[in-house]
Amino acid sequence: MSHNSALSHAEHHEHGGHWDYSVPPFLISFGILFLVLAFAFHFVYHSGLAAAISLGVGVPLIIAGIVGWVREAMGHGEGLSYGAMGWFILAEAMIFVSFFVSYWFMHLRAAAWPPAGTPDMPRLLPMVMTAVLVISSITIHHGEALLHKGNKAGFMNWLMVTILLGATFLGMSGYEWSHLIHEGFTPATNIYGTVFFSITGFHGSHVFVGLCIFLAALLPGFKGNISEGYVRTAGLYWHFVDIIWFFVVSQVYYW
Amino acid sequence: MNIKEWIFTTDHKRVGILYLIGSIAAFVVAGIMAGLMRAELSAIGPTVTANPTTYNVWLYAHGAIMILGFQIPALTGFFANYCIPLMIGAKDVAFPRVNALSVWLFYVGVILALLTFVIPDPPDVLWTGYPPYSTITTGNTAFYTFTVLTLGFASIIGGVNFLTTVVYMRAPGITWNKLNIFVWCILGAFVMQLIFVPVLGSAVTLISFDKYLGTHFFDPANGGDVLTYQNLFWFYSHPAVYVIFLPYIGVVFEIVATFAKNHVFNYKAAVYGGVGGIVLISGEVWIHHLYVSGMPDWLRIGQMVSTLMISVPVGLLVISLVGTLYKGAISFETPMLYALGVVFLFLIGGLTGIPLAVTALTLNLSETYYVVGHFHYVMAVAGTFAIFGGVYYWFPKMTGKMYSEFWGKTGFWVTFVGVNAVFWVMMDIGVKIGLPRRYYDYAQFPEALQSQQIMSMGAAVIAVGAAITILNWIIGAIQGPKAGNNPWGSQSFEWTTVSPPPHGNWPSPPSAAESWNPYAYGKR
Amino acid sequence: MHKQRRLPGCRTGAVWLGGLASWLMASMVQAGEKLHDPARGWDHLWNEVLVDITVIGIVFAIIAAYFVIRYRRTSPGQQGSATGLSAAAAVAWVVIPGFVFLADDLYIAAQGWSLWNTYRDVPADRLEVTLESGMYSWDYTYANGVRTQNELIVPAGKPVMLKMHSRDTIHSHYLPDFRVKEDSMPGRVTYLWFLPKEAGKEHLVTCTEYCGVMHSYMAGKVIVKTEAEFKTWLDQETAKLGNKAKMT
Ligand code: HEA
Ligand code: HEA
Ligand code: CUA
Ligand SMILES: [Cu+2]
Repeated sequence: MSHNSALSHAEHHEHGGHWDYSVPPFLISFGILFLVLAFAFHFVYHSGLAAAISLGVGVPLIIAGIVGWVREAMGHGEGLSYGAMGWFILAEAMIFVSFFVSYWFMHLRAAAWPPAGTPDMPRLLPMVMTAVLVISSITIHHGEALLHKGNKAGFMNWLMVTILLGATFLGMSGYEWSHLIHEGFTPATNIYGTVFFSITGFHGSHVFVGLCIFLAALLPGFKGNISEGYVRTAGLYWHFVDIIWFFVVSQVYYW
Repeated sequence: MNIKEWIFTTDHKRVGILYLIGSIAAFVVAGIMAGLMRAELSAIGPTVTANPTTYNVWLYAHGAIMILGFQIPALTGFFANYCIPLMIGAKDVAFPRVNALSVWLFYVGVILALLTFVIPDPPDVLWTGYPPYSTITTGNTAFYTFTVLTLGFASIIGGVNFLTTVVYMRAPGITWNKLNIFVWCILGAFVMQLIFVPVLGSAVTLISFDKYLGTHFFDPANGGDVLTYQNLFWFYSHPAVYVIFLPYIGVVFEIVATFAKNHVFNYKAAVYGGVGGIVLISGEVWIHHLYVSGMPDWLRIGQMVSTLMISVPVGLLVISLVGTLYKGAISFETPMLYALGVVFLFLIGGLTGIPLAVTALTLNLSETYYVVGHFHYVMAVAGTFAIFGGVYYWFPKMTGKMYSEFWGKTGFWVTFVGVNAVFWVMMDIGVKIGLPRRYYDYAQFPEALQSQQIMSMGAAVIAVGAAITILNWIIGAIQGPKAGNNPWGSQSFEWTTVSPPPHGNWPSPPSAAESWNPYAYGKR
Repeated sequence: MHKQRRLPGCRTGAVWLGGLASWLMASMVQAGEKLHDPARGWDHLWNEVLVDITVIGIVFAIIAAYFVIRYRRTSPGQQGSATGLSAAAAVAWVVIPGFVFLADDLYIAAQGWSLWNTYRDVPADRLEVTLESGMYSWDYTYANGVRTQNELIVPAGKPVMLKMHSRDTIHSHYLPDFRVKEDSMPGRVTYLWFLPKEAGKEHLVTCTEYCGVMHSYMAGKVIVKTEAEFKTWLDQETAKLGNKAKMT
C-alpha cells in the first residue's frame, strides 16, 4: 500500500495527513486471546500456573482497553448507538432463544420433570430477585428522564441506585448458587442442573455486563462527563436483560 | 509510513485491508492443508502421515479456516469494510472503534485456529464439531469453541456496525432504490449473521460446557440429546452458506455491470425477490443437512420443499445477472473473467445442490464426495473466484496502481482448469461409487484410486494459479503503474473519489445528483 | 399401500398451485407404481433429476455464453444499450420464471416424496436385525440372539430392516449398493431397510459419519445367501448359542 500518495491526497484534509487510530480495541482483542488461553490451560492442559499467568496478562489488558476506550470515546459518539443496540439485542436474544429451545426440547422429552436428584428449589427468592430487577429497570428509566431534563445530579443518584439493585440481584443469585452447590446440586447432577446453571449463569453474566456498562457511565459522570446517548443505550440493554429474566424465572424456576 | 496508524487504525479502508491480509493468509494456510490432504489421498494406505488423527486435524483446520477465517471475513470483513462507506458516500462506518475491535478479534480467531498446528492434542472435531465425539475426544475442543466464538463475535459487532452505517449514513441522494446490489447483499448477509451466528455460538459453547464443566446437554445417558447440537449447528450453518453466497454474488453484480457497461437487469427483482427471498427462506431449510441423521420423517420431508424453493430467489438473481449482459458492451479484463467464471461455476454448484435437496436421493449422496464436490463448486470455487475478481476490480481503488493484466488472466485460466479437474471428478466419484468423505484412507474403494490421483494433480494446478494471483497483487501493489481514479469508467459512487481515497474519503461530505445511479450507463 | 400417505403432499401442492396439482398427482402415482425396491427407484430418480438440472444448466450457460460473445465491446468507450424494463415487464420477469422454477421444484419434490415413502415404509414380511455401532465395529444381533460382527448375513429376496443405535459416537451405516444410509447414535433408535436380491453376492458396508480416528476403517459387509443356506447358517449359530448357554 502506498501510504505516500494517500498522504498527499489527505494533505488538504482536516486531519492534515494523519489517520485516526485507537489502541484500546487492540488491547481488548488480545486480552480475550489470553483469557481463552487461560481456559485452555486450566481445563484442557491442567496447568494451573500457566492459566494464572494468562489470566494475569489477559485481565489487565481488557481492563486497560475498556478504560482507555471509555476515556477516548465517551461523549464523542455519533448518537447512533441506540439504533445499533437494537440490532445487537436481536443477536443477544437469539442466544437465549437457542438456550431455551434446547431446554424445552429436553424438558418435553424427559420422562419426569424435574429429574431425579433435584433438590427443592427456592420459591421465594426468585420472586424477590424479580422484584429487584424490575425496580432497577424503573429506577434507570427515571434517571434517564431526569437527565433528559438536564438534572445531572438526580440522574447520578438514580444511576447509583440502579447499580446497587443490580449488584443485589447478582448477590442473591450468587447466594443461591453457593447454597445449591453446597447441597451437592451442580451442573453435572442431572439435566436440570445443566439447564439451571447454564441459563441463570448466562443471564447473570448479562447482568454483570450491564453493570459494567453503567459503571463506565458512572465514573466519568462524577466529573460531569455524561453522554445522554450512551445512557439511553445502556438503559435499553438493561431493560432487555430485565425482560429476559421473566423468561428465565418463569421457565426455569416455575415450570 | 506510520505503523501505529496502520495497526491501531480505525479507518474503514485500512481495517478492510487488514481483513484482506488476514483472510488471504488464512486462505494460503488452509490451502496448504488441502494440499497435504490431497497428497495423503493420492495413494491407498499411509502416504504423508501414518496417523489418521493428523489428517483429521488438517481437515478440521482446512474446513474451519476456509469458511470462518477466509471467506466470511474476506466477504463481510474486507469487501464490506472497504466498499460500503465509499458506495454510500459516508466518511467512515458508524463505529470506527468497534470496527477495529472486530478486525482484531478476527485476528485472534485466526491465531487460535493456527495454534492448532503447535498445541498438543489439537482439535480433531472437523468443522461441524458433532458431539458425542467432540465431547469425548482427547483433542482440544475448547479451541474449536473459542475459534468459532471470537470469529462469530467479530462478525456480530461488524454486522451491528454496518447495518447502522447503511441505515443512517447514506449521503444525500443515495436512496434505498439506488443502493448498489452489493450493499443490499451485505445487508442481507448481516441480518442473517445477527440472527443465526448467536445460535452457532450457543451450540459450540454447549459442547465445551459438556466437555469441561460436566453439563449434560448432548449426553443421552443423562437426559440430553445429541441431535440438539446438530439442529443448532445447522440452523446457523445453512444460512451461513448464504452469508457467503450473497456478498460474493453482489461483488459479481458490480463487476458485471461495470464491464458490460449496462444497468442491472430487473434491479428490484434481484433486490426484493432475490436477496429478500433468500433471507426469508434461509432459516427454514437446515434439516437438509440432517436427512440421514434420524430426525422425524415429517421434518425431513417438510424441509425438502423449502430447500428446493430456494431455487426461485436464486434463479431471479441469476436472471438479473445474465440479463445484465444483454445488449451490454462487454470487455474482458481480469475481474470480468472471474465474474463470468463465477456465473458458470455457480450454475454447476447450485444445480448440483438440487439432488441433495431431494430427501430420498440424499440417502445415497449424503456424506459422500458428491457433497464435497457440490460445496466446493458453489462455495469454495465460485466464492473464491468472486473474491479474486473483486480484489482485482477494486485493486486500483485500493492502491492507486494497476496489476498486470497478463498475469491476472494467466492466473485465472490456470486456476479455472485446476478447479474443474478437482471438483468435477470429485462429484463423479461420489455418485458412481459412493466414496465417503472424511476418510483418511479408502482401502475398501480401490476403484477410487485413479480419480483421487487426478484430483491431487488438479490441486497442484490450483496452487500454481492461486500463487500467480497472490503474487500479482503483491507485485502490483508495490510497483504497478499509476491507475487513475476510475480506470474502469464505472458509475458506482466509490469511483468518484481519488484512488486511494484519503482518510475521510472525500474532502467534504459528498452528495449524489438526482440523475445519479450506480448503474447509469448508456442512454436511459 | 402408500396412497394414504401421499395424499397430504398432494393437498399442499394443490394449495400452492391449484392448476398443477392434477399433473403432480398423475406423475406421482405413475412413479409410485414402478418403484418397489428403493435402490432401483434411486437410480431412476437420480437420472431424472440429473437430466433436469443438466437442461437448466445448459440453457442458462448457453444464453450467458451467447450474450458474452454477441455483446462484446467493439470500440473503446462504447456503452451498453439495454433500455429499462416497463413495470409490467419487470413483474412478468419475476412471475413467469418464478412460476416455472416453482413448478419444476414441486415436480421434483413430488417425485422425491414418492421415493421417500418406499424408503421409509418397510414391507411387513421382513428380517429384523438390531445393529449396535461402536468405535469401531458393526455389531448385529438377530431376533433369536445370534450375534455377528461386521458381517451381516441375510437371505436373498427378503427385505432386511436394521434397528440401529450406537454405544458411543455417531456412526452411519452406509450400503452403497443399496443406495441407503442412516445414522446411528446413542439415545435414539433409527432404522433403514434394503432388499438383497442375488444370493452369493457380498456388499460393502462403510461408515459415513465421522466417528473418530479409525472412521475410514470402519467397514464391513453384507453377505447374501440363499434362503436355505441362510436358514442352515442361522440354525448352526443358534445351536452354538444354546451350547454356550448350557456351558455357563
Ligand atoms: C456458498 C455456499 C453454498 C450455497 C450457495 C449452497 C446452495 C445450495 N445447497 Fe449446499 N452446501 C454447502 C454450501 C452451499 N450450498 C456446504 C458447505 C455444504 C456441506 C456442509 C458440510 O456438510 O460440511 C452443503 C451441503 C448441502 C446439502 C446437504 C448434503 C448432505 O450433507 O447430505 C444440501 C441438501 O439439500 C445442499 C443443497 C443446496 C441447495 C439446494 C442450494 C441452493 O441454494 C442452490 C440454488 C441454486 C440453483 C438451483 C442454481 C441457479 C438457479 C437457477 C438457474 C434457477 C432454475 C433452477 C431450478 C428450477 C432448479 N447443500
Ligand atoms: C471456502 C472454502 C473452501 C475452499 C476455498 C477449499 C479449497 C480446497 N479444498 Fe476444501 N473443504 C472445505 C472448504 C473449502 N475448501 C470444507 C468446508 C470442507 C469440509 C471439511 C470437513 O469435512 O469438515 C472441505 C473439504 C475438502 C476435502 C475433503 C476431505 C475429506 O473429506 O476427507 C478435500 C479433498 O480433496 C478438499 C480439497 C480442497 C482443495 C484441493 C482446495 C483448493 O481449491 C485449495 C487451493 C488453494 C491453495 C492450494 C493455496 C495456494 C496458495 C499458495 C500456495 C500461495 C503461495 C503463496 C504466496 C505466493 C504468498 N477440501
Ligand atoms: Cu463409524 Cu465413522
Ligand atoms: Cu444447507
